[in-house]
Amino acid sequence: MTNMAEDLKATHLTDAAPSPSAAPSAEDRRRTDRKRSPREAKKRTANIVIYGVLVVLVVALMVPFIWMLSSSLKENNQVLTVPIQWIPQEFVWSNYTDIWTRIPMMGYLQNSLYLAVIITCLQVLTGSLAAYGFSKVRFPGRDVLFLAYIGTIAVPWQAYMVPQYIMMQNLGLTNSFNALILLQAFGAFGVFLMRQYYMTIPDELCEAARIDGLSEYGIWARVILPLSKPALASLALLTFVNTWNDYMGPFIYLTSNRLWTVQLGLRSFVGQFDAEYAMIMTGSVISVIPILIIFLIGQRYFIQGIATSGMKG
Amino acid sequence: MTTETIPQAPAPVQSRGNRKQARRNTLIGWTFILPNFLGFLAFTLIPVVAAFALSFMEWTSFSAPKWIGLANFERMFASDSFWIALRNTVVYALGHVPLTMALALLLAMLLNRKLKGIGFFRVAIFFPYITSLVAVAVVWNMLFSPDSGPINQFLGAIGIANPPGWTSSSDWAMPAVIITSVWRDMGYYMVLYLAGLQAIPTELYEAAEVDGASAWQRFWNVTIPSLRPTTFFVVVMLTVSSFKVFDLIVVMTNGGPGRSTTVLSQLIYQEGIGEGKFGYSSAISLVLFIIVLTVTVLQFKIQQRRER
Amino acid sequence: MKRTTLAAIALAVTAGLGLTGCAGAAGPAEPQAAEGKTRLTVSVWNYEGTPEFKALFDSYEAANPTIDIEPVDILADDYPQKVTTMLAGGDTTDVLTMKNVIDYSRYANNGQLQEINSVVDKLGKDNLAGTDAFNIDGKYFAAPYRQDFWLLYYNKDLFKAAGIEDPKDLTWEKYTEIAKKLSTEAGGKKTYGTYHHIWRSTVQAIAAAQNGADQNSGDYGFMEDQYNTALDLQKSGATLDFGTAKSQKTSYRTMFESGQAAMMPMGTWYIAGILQAKKDGKTNVNWGLAPMPQKNDDGKVTTFGSPTAFAVNKNATHSDEAKKFIEWAAGEEGAKAISKIGVVPALQNDSITAEYFKLDGMPTDDLSKKAFTPDTTELEMPVSDKSAATDKILNQEHDLIMVGERSVSDGIAEMGKRVTSEVLGK
Repeated sequence: MTNMAEDLKATHLTDAAPSPSAAPSAEDRRRTDRKRSPREAKKRTANIVIYGVLVVLVVALMVPFIWMLSSSLKENNQVLTVPIQWIPQEFVWSNYTDIWTRIPMMGYLQNSLYLAVIITCLQVLTGSLAAYGFSKVRFPGRDVLFLAYIGTIAVPWQAYMVPQYIMMQNLGLTNSFNALILLQAFGAFGVFLMRQYYMTIPDELCEAARIDGLSEYGIWARVILPLSKPALASLALLTFVNTWNDYMGPFIYLTSNRLWTVQLGLRSFVGQFDAEYAMIMTGSVISVIPILIIFLIGQRYFIQGIATSGMKG
Repeated sequence: MTTETIPQAPAPVQSRGNRKQARRNTLIGWTFILPNFLGFLAFTLIPVVAAFALSFMEWTSFSAPKWIGLANFERMFASDSFWIALRNTVVYALGHVPLTMALALLLAMLLNRKLKGIGFFRVAIFFPYITSLVAVAVVWNMLFSPDSGPINQFLGAIGIANPPGWTSSSDWAMPAVIITSVWRDMGYYMVLYLAGLQAIPTELYEAAEVDGASAWQRFWNVTIPSLRPTTFFVVVMLTVSSFKVFDLIVVMTNGGPGRSTTVLSQLIYQEGIGEGKFGYSSAISLVLFIIVLTVTVLQFKIQQRRER
Repeated sequence: MKRTTLAAIALAVTAGLGLTGCAGAAGPAEPQAAEGKTRLTVSVWNYEGTPEFKALFDSYEAANPTIDIEPVDILADDYPQKVTTMLAGGDTTDVLTMKNVIDYSRYANNGQLQEINSVVDKLGKDNLAGTDAFNIDGKYFAAPYRQDFWLLYYNKDLFKAAGIEDPKDLTWEKYTEIAKKLSTEAGGKKTYGTYHHIWRSTVQAIAAAQNGADQNSGDYGFMEDQYNTALDLQKSGATLDFGTAKSQKTSYRTMFESGQAAMMPMGTWYIAGILQAKKDGKTNVNWGLAPMPQKNDDGKVTTFGSPTAFAVNKNATHSDEAKKFIEWAAGEEGAKAISKIGVVPALQNDSITAEYFKLDGMPTDDLSKKAFTPDTTELEMPVSDKSAATDKILNQEHDLIMVGERSVSDGIAEMGKRVTSEVLGK
């Protein structure tokens, strides 16, 4: 199924801009070989510079995370000291074993994972479908409807959460995962993101597929979807992270302790007059791990040329 | 708007089109949109419309709503707090949107290459977004500390006599918040740009290189135009999220000192669920919605013009 | 190759779904009322971290075998917001815990609570500290079971080391003086004479209580002396400065438990916390209690506090059982149950106070006991439908005065101006 898209894309591109690289002959290749050494050297210095920049950047970005890590290894009354203490006086490794018994952390992780996975899948699926309707099919009222989608993103949730809650309560959906899934899986975010990506895919591709006798659904599934892997990956990633880190939604809709997510669980260390920051930081470090895994899987789709004929070679 | 767009850029099918075809198209279009739209209509659009209706009423969430016409809006436009929050929100957006966008694009370009360990670097740049907000607030506030913070020590070392008071000063709290939020969000938008960059055919760069275009020219003439849809998305999402900013400010300054960093969504939260004046808080959100929608429609139009 | 990764992801996703899917909700199972028992639901905050609730519920269930109490556990941070949302949706939780009197007045004025005059009458208005706060035109919609008030915690070792006698009969001048004396710096480690937490009550509520003033009045001249004291302490380095404390989210517990502050005005809720910390070996601070510093040196102690109360939801499923529970919890039995874990009950009499000081680790010197029986305890914030809005304004202006952006007189004038125009609508 991917081949079809590649072929179409390749034909389209050679038609549109006859580029020299479409099929390098043996001679061409030799020529580039000869040029390589000075170029390569230049590239290597460039790489070293880039590495340098990246390392500095990473340090600057990781500082708060390092504080979080260090706090997770402290006694609670050593966390918020003045001045900041970067290295714990003594390492309290037991925080990492205690947290599993202090709160049902494993259950919370499972709940979070369940919600995040289902919401992400639904969001990616319905979002990419709707985006096709908004970008590749023309019909009256389309743009106005699309603006309504974007418009609602602009309304802060704080403004309509009570009417929404009353509605959900009347439907008997509060205090269940279904409430959150229904609320968050059909957001406008995914539609918008995917639509914008589809706009970059030339209409000629769809046209060619139509001539080949594919239905619109076929074009979506066999041409557009395979070409939009980077966008799907970023949508999935961002939806997952946002769902995983969401606090207010689960707080309002999930009342029973057994339904709580990680973010709610961590907040249960905040008391009326003080908070157990050591435990909160321990939990935060743990809850970052699933996101890291998802990110490392997802970022592999951000490889230049995956969507073009470049990957043929 | 539709009357303007349809004849301008005839879609492949439409160009062949007769009425039957158009109707068929509408049908097909809706089948694509429907699965998402049903959920969106039921669980987002209806409550939003209900909230907007509330802005013309007085409602404490318990009694029946009472129609009071424009009284909420009159009260709002006469209120200092509203204008201060609106001003703060706009200032925040003006700082946050362009800076985040530029840095996110820069980072995406930097990280859009095959390099050993690139996955690690990409993750690292996403880290601020997934670091606990409390940690972010504590560490940045420490960096911004007026007397002993490294930022002011640096400013002092390069000869700035009166370094700003950052989060303990009304004038500098907002810039401090903006810097922190840009730092936090750029990784998020980098992911979007990174995806957008993948859609640019390498052939375009190669062709430009053959034509002797410099790196800057390639960036300006190939990357920027090809990224336009992504940029539109990023700008709109950034604008929207800037106008809705809430969490970071609550944790970092909680709107202070005084009201110097209070933003609209905080006002909506305090007045609504905090004090039970849901009609009034809905009125504020309606104004917020209109502002953001205006900005978005403008951007939408500009983008459509450029696409032609 | 790509297709296989896709397939692998799909597989992982389905596996993940299956895993969590069959586990479904993975926390502890929903408690079900046993046969023939009535399930009474009570909204609470932070059930695990607030042991008084468990203490109350366990004792009540033991005394009333036909009742099963199910806590509706809500996070402490946004407790009122969640309760407001739930009530808007017509929630039927039986008993609602009122975290503070500001929320109480909102719910009561909105008609979301049932009148429980009969319960309050039976308990006796005069026996319960803070009952007045719940009087709305002769009607009571909640009964307090717990009453926290403010006193002065101090570090006995630091006092001894500085050769200062225990803080008896302090006036604010005397307090400032010894706070300055107790501030030292050795080896880069600073010890502060006192620590004022960033809450506005540390200045405003105590000023209102000791001057007999009303924080909803729109006239705040009475706060001037108290602000001058607070700013003087801050300027002389006898307390951590407000800006740092706020931005670093300084924990008052850390300040006191690590011996960084020799004194600290704070509420009685911290007693339970510090007892626990000492028991767990997390601190070795040698602490004592003293009465709050006073405006006058006439020997009378005036402080402020705020009660915590139970109310019956208008939509409660079991109204009668709910009232019975409140009567028990606010009465002698409930008071005993919570004083056992170091929580100060609203019902105060000699036998309960004596019981309280028998707690393991409690300082038993006379000064501590005196601190525990102030002559007058004013309400932290008056009960009124204006309180929430006033509170917000006073907080914002408090910020500005404490970081030094506004002079005391300007700040006080601004408070008055804003409260008058924005809240009182004059």
